Amino acid sequence: MSDVELHLPPDVRYVGLARLVVCAAARQSGMSDERIEDLRIAVSEATTNAVIAHQRVQRTLPVVLLFGASTAGFSVTVRDSGAGFEPTGAQDGASRDWTGEHGLGVTLIRGLADEVEFLRAAGMRVHMRFAVGLEAEGAAERTSGQAEVS
Amino acid sequence: MELSLNHRKEGDKTVLEVGGEVDVYTAPKLREKLVELVGDGHYQLVVDMTKVEFLDSTGLGVLVGGLKRVRSHDGTLSLVCNQERILKIFRITGLTKVFPIHDSLDEALQDA
Repeated sequence: MSDVELHLPPDVRYVGLARLVVCAAARQSGMSDERIEDLRIAVSEATTNAVIAHQRVQRTLPVVLLFGASTAGFSVTVRDSGAGFEPTGAQDGASRDWTGEHGLGVTLIRGLADEVEFLRAAGMRVHMRFAVGLEAEGAAERTSGQAEVS
Repeated sequence: MELSLNHRKEGDKTVLEVGGEVDVYTAPKLREKLVELVGDGHYQLVVDMTKVEFLDSTGLGVLVGGLKRVRSHDGTLSLVCNQERILKIFRITGLTKVFPIHDSLDEALQDA
């Protein structure tokens, strides 16, 4: 279960705030600096996709991030209520068409997270798990609380 | 952190120094700058990313767009990047095979 819920207006200016808050929680949980950099990018990609998905259908509802640490690692779920999309498969970066200026985000999420799941149901739900360090220590400190930006 | 963009001529090349965070919020400014430079005839570009704090796929897409623009004028776009965290995203996306990436600005400027 994720412990912190962050509601963000569907505005691109808040993607940086999502990165800051999630990475601060991960740092507090003992994640290494190197893994936090991976997390930072993956959160940015998933949140960007969610915000753009809301903007495309003029949805003013917030996008929602759920995140927290447990013995299984650090998990982040990004949820939107946009039109949803079919994620590209696990793609070898070297074989993709380099001229495409979009669609790199899913490739990065897949490349950086230890586990990722894309669920399409009334929007998208992207669940990512980062395992490094936390499960080895066996007793990650848990954070709890709620935050909302509106 | 906001995005900073500064350009200057270095011989036959134009160096665009990028600093700060390049994401979905700031990337349009980088795109505008690249469009402006190419529009003004700067076709040999070196994008110095030494001071970039964060770059995600939106930024990568803008760089790909810049590369396509200069190539349509038989130009080049090379990168200066020595930060492992940023090099990693070029590797994952396969873009290390598309952009010439240099450790230092001197190396990029000496590259023919």
